Amino acid sequence: MNDPRCLKFEPRHSRRDFLFQSGVGLGAVALQSLLQPAHAAALTSPLQAKTPPKPARAKNVIFLFMEGGPSHMDLFDPKPLLNQLAGKPMPESFGSVITAMGESKSPILGSKRTWKQHGQSGLWISDWLPHTAQCADDLAVIRSCKADGINHSAGVCQMNTGSILGGRPSLGSWVSYGLGTENNDLPAFVVMQDSQTSVVNGPRNWASGFMPAVYQGVRMHGGSEPIPYLNTPDSVSAEQQSSKIEFIRDLNQRYADKFADRTDLAARLNSYELAFRMQSEAPSAVDLHKESEATKKLYGIDRPETASMGKLCLLARRMVEKGVRFVQIYHGAGSKWDAHKGIEKNHSELCRAMDLPVAALLRDLKSRGMLDDTLVVWGGEFGRTPMSEKGDGRDHNPTGFTMWMAGGGVKGGQCIGSTDDLGLRAVDTPLHVHDLHATILWLLGLDNMDLVFKYKGRPERPTLNEGEAYTKIAT
Amino acid sequence: MKASQTVPLSRSPRSFRSKRLLVGLLLCLAPASLTFAEQPLNEAFFTQKVFPILQDNCFKCHSHASGKNKGGLLLDSLPAMLEGGETGPALVVGKPAESLLLKLIRSKDTETQMPPKGDRLSEDSIKILESWIQEGAFWPKTAQSSLLPNGPSKRAPGGITEDDRKWWAFVPVQEPEIPAPATSATGNHPIDRFIDARLLAEDLEPAPEAEKRVLIRRVTQAVTGLPPTPAEIEAFLSNNTPEAYDQLVDRLLESPRYGERMARLWMDLVRYADSDGYRVDDYRPTAWRYRDYLIQAFNANKPYDRFVQEQLAGDELFPGDPQALTATGYLRMWIYEYNNRDARGQWETILNDVTDTTADVFMGLGMQCARCHDHKFDPILQKDYFALQSFFAGILPRQDRPAATPVERENYHWKLAKWEEKTFPILKKIAAIEDPHRARAEKEAVTKFPDDIQEMIRKAPEQRTPLETQLAALAWRQVEYEWERLERRIKGEQREELSRLHRELAQFDSIRPAPLPPILSVTDVGSVAPVTKIPKKGTEVGPAFPTVMGNEFPAPPAAIYPPEQGFSTGRRASLAMWLTRPENPLTARVFVNRIWQMHFRQGIASFASDFGKLGEPPSHPELLDWLASQFVKDGWDIKQLHRRILTSAAYRRSSNHPNLEAGLKKDPTNRLLWRAQPIRLEAEQIRDSIFFVSGELKEDRGGAGVPFTDPKRSVYTRIMRNGRDPLTDAFDAPLWFASASSRDVTTTPIQSLLLINSPFMLQRSKAFAERVLHSTPGNRSLPIAQKITSAYQLAYGRPPSPEELRSAEKFIQRQVQIGTGNSAALSHRGFIPEKIPFRDGQGALFEPGGTSGFKAKDSIGINAKDGFTVEAFILPRTVADTAALRTIVGKWNGNYSTPGWRLGITGQKSRRTPMVIALQTVGLKQDGKLAEVPFFSGLRIQMNKPYFVSAAINYADQNGPGSVTFSVKDLSNDDEPLLVDTIPCDIYGIPDNKFPVTLGSQSGTSPDSFHGVLDDVRFSEGVLPTAMQLLQSENANPATKGFWRFESKPDIMADLSGNGHNLEAPEDLRAIPKAEVVNGNADIRNAFAAFCHALFNSSEFLYTE
Repeated sequence: MNDPRCLKFEPRHSRRDFLFQSGVGLGAVALQSLLQPAHAAALTSPLQAKTPPKPARAKNVIFLFMEGGPSHMDLFDPKPLLNQLAGKPMPESFGSVITAMGESKSPILGSKRTWKQHGQSGLWISDWLPHTAQCADDLAVIRSCKADGINHSAGVCQMNTGSILGGRPSLGSWVSYGLGTENNDLPAFVVMQDSQTSVVNGPRNWASGFMPAVYQGVRMHGGSEPIPYLNTPDSVSAEQQSSKIEFIRDLNQRYADKFADRTDLAARLNSYELAFRMQSEAPSAVDLHKESEATKKLYGIDRPETASMGKLCLLARRMVEKGVRFVQIYHGAGSKWDAHKGIEKNHSELCRAMDLPVAALLRDLKSRGMLDDTLVVWGGEFGRTPMSEKGDGRDHNPTGFTMWMAGGGVKGGQCIGSTDDLGLRAVDTPLHVHDLHATILWLLGLDNMDLVFKYKGRPERPTLNEGEAYTKIAT
Repeated sequence: MKASQTVPLSRSPRSFRSKRLLVGLLLCLAPASLTFAEQPLNEAFFTQKVFPILQDNCFKCHSHASGKNKGGLLLDSLPAMLEGGETGPALVVGKPAESLLLKLIRSKDTETQMPPKGDRLSEDSIKILESWIQEGAFWPKTAQSSLLPNGPSKRAPGGITEDDRKWWAFVPVQEPEIPAPATSATGNHPIDRFIDARLLAEDLEPAPEAEKRVLIRRVTQAVTGLPPTPAEIEAFLSNNTPEAYDQLVDRLLESPRYGERMARLWMDLVRYADSDGYRVDDYRPTAWRYRDYLIQAFNANKPYDRFVQEQLAGDELFPGDPQALTATGYLRMWIYEYNNRDARGQWETILNDVTDTTADVFMGLGMQCARCHDHKFDPILQKDYFALQSFFAGILPRQDRPAATPVERENYHWKLAKWEEKTFPILKKIAAIEDPHRARAEKEAVTKFPDDIQEMIRKAPEQRTPLETQLAALAWRQVEYEWERLERRIKGEQREELSRLHRELAQFDSIRPAPLPPILSVTDVGSVAPVTKIPKKGTEVGPAFPTVMGNEFPAPPAAIYPPEQGFSTGRRASLAMWLTRPENPLTARVFVNRIWQMHFRQGIASFASDFGKLGEPPSHPELLDWLASQFVKDGWDIKQLHRRILTSAAYRRSSNHPNLEAGLKKDPTNRLLWRAQPIRLEAEQIRDSIFFVSGELKEDRGGAGVPFTDPKRSVYTRIMRNGRDPLTDAFDAPLWFASASSRDVTTTPIQSLLLINSPFMLQRSKAFAERVLHSTPGNRSLPIAQKITSAYQLAYGRPPSPEELRSAEKFIQRQVQIGTGNSAALSHRGFIPEKIPFRDGQGALFEPGGTSGFKAKDSIGINAKDGFTVEAFILPRTVADTAALRTIVGKWNGNYSTPGWRLGITGQKSRRTPMVIALQTVGLKQDGKLAEVPFFSGLRIQMNKPYFVSAAINYADQNGPGSVTFSVKDLSNDDEPLLVDTIPCDIYGIPDNKFPVTLGSQSGTSPDSFHGVLDDVRFSEGVLPTAMQLLQSENANPATKGFWRFESKPDIMADLSGNGHNLEAPEDLRAIPKAEVVNGNADIRNAFAAFCHALFNSSEFLYTE
């Protein structure tokens, strides 16, 4: 009665998943662990690296999330009609939309950008992004993205989890679940942001939803405590701490011995060791001192306006180098790209802060030969409206916007899809968030319909049973 | 969906197998490999020509094999093609021109053409399909069967088969005969007779009963969510009567903690939270009454049928009963987006959510798949989904109906009328000021909606259709949101006048009746519900129960009896009564299985909220039925159900087994319950047990949610969907966005880091140590061994073995030898880290009436000619209930003859405006004399919300008055702008003083100290432009004189301005308590705390055996 497809688990880790889901059904590996207690914990690590079920082009992902929604028709999607109709109401032929702030009938706002074609490919990129423009031939610019949420909360939630409602695992969690990680001393899924302001919806954007917590993203910071509670508290000396850990180990070992078939108890023992390997590994991963001055300069770390994003982009490269599977960077954390008014000033500043570091990341990855298997994704939760808001701003627009991908098997220098003449709606080759996610998964060798997690007895998929990979992005 | 198109395909499994083989060939090998000559010509045509076209171009999105039926359409069988999808039948036999399939294949419209992507079909292919349809669309049976789901019971789209109705969960509960005792060891307990019979059959030996110590810990955690006390353990151990265990279970079930534990289970199911869940994640100040209702209901042992009825239809079935009305809070637990202008979309989402949750919780059916299409595996039709939804189609969320009896309500209104009569002139004046602002706020909110919604809002209520009433009400909440923030709009003299009027009004408080308990509830919109339609298809669907659960096809409409008074549709009452009929096959089974799962961590049926075909069949189906039938017979008595399970020998088994390997070989997952298993505590049990063992748990029951740092039981903590407690988060608490029926158990390094390094755990360990060390007053000289034993008893419920004792002693000695760590730690006394929501890093928690604040080293000059700016991130918990200003940051001693200033929040009885940001100064007036001059902003602060606040003073000079500019930004809401209020400043400077800048208090005094969390505080020279404000730029700059962030790196107390104004802890906390010095045992205390900390980190503490 069961469609085998709906129950298609990655066979290589089905057993472990069961262990980690139920926590009590541990007998499956019980005998093995009785024989080899030392390996029990290793056996049960759900994040062990896995071979992708399908040919993979990318191994890792760096997702540059421009939070708040950058304006596609001021960056990658030139619309001459905007300036022709500036100040006039949107022609009825474009249909009506519901906008977040209710100014759907406001006049069209012209774009003040100057546009040029760049690279061999001749991609159009505006003067707001002079550095990104120099990497034009590496970018696959998708001008026909579509999402469902008209507000930030729903939009950011969907761009992360596929659903405008909370509660589902983040894309990074799905990738960690599907592929595990190459470095057990660092989290598989790392999240960083450029300010201390909370990202819309907070940590649940990188939560594992209905999957076990082991797949959730871990917020990392620069500096000396990159992971919460990583450091020994000030009031405890290093010696005290190590004697304490030794004692805890004794206690836990005694208990684990009593229930030798229980791999979760062995895993608890192991988790302290892992925690302390992280303690040494994580700070060195975020320690930029060893990077050359030239590298720091490349990323703009020497300049106040680009320092913050520059550090994050450099950290992202270092994480990927160390085998972190999925890195997500929020730029403009707290909806800073949300230019409801004064878009000129808002976007000028944000572009200046982001453009150079992002281009540096692409160049640096390329020069190290890492761009081949590192997929870089750039975009926000939605784009912005051709209509003005408050005179000189633009409202949210999920019906048509731009994202780009580079590296990881993506063919650069191409432009995919299009919006209508005002940039309001995706027209040609519309790619919904589900399609975008399916594409990312496909590049990683995962099939969005085959990657299944069984929850409450039901097969759950990363793209909610929808979405199709846009495989042409690789050709 | 038409009944006539159900095509029951009865085929025996045997014949199926042979056909599958054939189809395997057909699908996998090239069709050409078949010998066509042996088959009828039209079959060959189909297999060779037609099938490959369909397979290559259509099946990816429209077949059982792909698991997709986009647009509700399947193209892998002829009946499916004839049934069609959302846009009608795909095929008309004999009429290619009329067949949608061909029309869309030919279409040039990119929106509708098929296939939607990739190459167009070749003209040849199209011709083949055309002639196939023309010639009768012959589809050989062999090909057809292959594509349908495997197994004997194949369902054509839209149909239900007899086999479906025979699925174990849908057949009536039969009370099975209790098996004879399996062995002489099997007792009389019916549960054991069922279980032991299976064990005997599988040749498995049950484990012996667990030790009494293990048992009491296991069952006490299971029933109350807390460990037993040493005294309780002793009492149980010394009770050697045969009834001792039964008495223990009875005692636990009577404990009020039982209801708290049970409510937590139910709260997972109904996705309870105290917040909206979207960006703003607004606090729902009255949601907790539903949580308290649950606790009371479980403690009072409310029969389950009544419990179900109250939650689904308390308003319809028990009008006037405040408890029943509170119970309808169940229908309010959905997430809500306060600024979503797509009212239709949001309402649809809400109804879907209520439908999904109800099917999960009460029916144990995962119905959400059927929202878009007939369920792929379970016999649930899309129509069934919307039939269930239509029971809720009439609901209207209500905030205006308090939980009160009619008499209480009448009393209240009588008193209110009296008060209104007395205060009428004042109320009239208030209204005169507020009304124009209200009207403007309303207009602004309303015009943000699409035209049709605006129209609904503007219509006279009696002219609205039921749906329009619902949508208008949903949209209207956005108007109310603005009205709640009306003060923002009222400025200047009007604001002062309003404050005056409110003070005047307050004089009548003695005759003003206390408000009735406000709750979140629902009623119906009236006696008529809006029509429910299947989206896209547009088919109207009325209330009906799932087709598979009746004998008719299609399912007949449910019998509905609208209440006579016409206030409601009676739909939900009908659903509730149907669910709680004793013969409903799902309700009792689902619930008893949940309780079984609660105690054994795996249900008899393994997926507690999905009894469909994707779950495994029950391990002990007869036992499940027996439990369900007894449950109903007992009058749905929940405590009796617990008692029955907990007193079984199966529950009392040891986790150890003399012959473990034999058991593991036969039944590795212990489905047959031949032993017990160590169980990790759930997140809330862990948190509560930590507070309980440390002696800090405050068992105040009920009431509004508290921050998770408060030592109340977790069930009473405020559950903010976007602001989670890191501890419960790390231990797999669900997200509470959707119904959750079980908890994960994961082990991660993040957990270990939190347990070993978080200040929270260090504090609990210290309290635990102090508790043990003080537990025998006057007897501090007791040997450390006794203290260790005492800690073991509290944490593990047992004394240590001699070896454990030695090891603990050795550890403590070692810790003493090493001595205290970083001496800097001492200066951090009094610092309690806490995070401000929507901010990273940590801030400093200030308790009410607390300390004299953190003082910056070396006086910072303030007499900057161009004034100064102070900024902070704050989360206030309370303000003074007097007029007193609670200080955020200041540089003053509180004396009006001494120059100085402080920034703070005004108290409830402020002479100007309560709860606003204000700057109090003692500065120079024009005459050169000192005077106290307060500046009050109009910027109101709400409690328990995170804010950025700032004040910048620009002194008056010969050119005229200066200004004080206040800014406030609600961090929880991006759509709230940075609010700025500038008022003229008539002081000419504040001469410098010798006092340090003090955070959280003014110098030297404590009654005005801040209550809440302070994060980054910055003091700058001059008036900072907005772009340089802390909100936008979190760095030190040349204007920065002092900058304190409370981060552990470089140091909690560090000044990051580079000027060395590091903080010093309050004097009253800096000193080491005298007792420690006198006894000279500070090191032992620290070492003992380290030992307690280790116990908290241990598996034995986190598990029950």
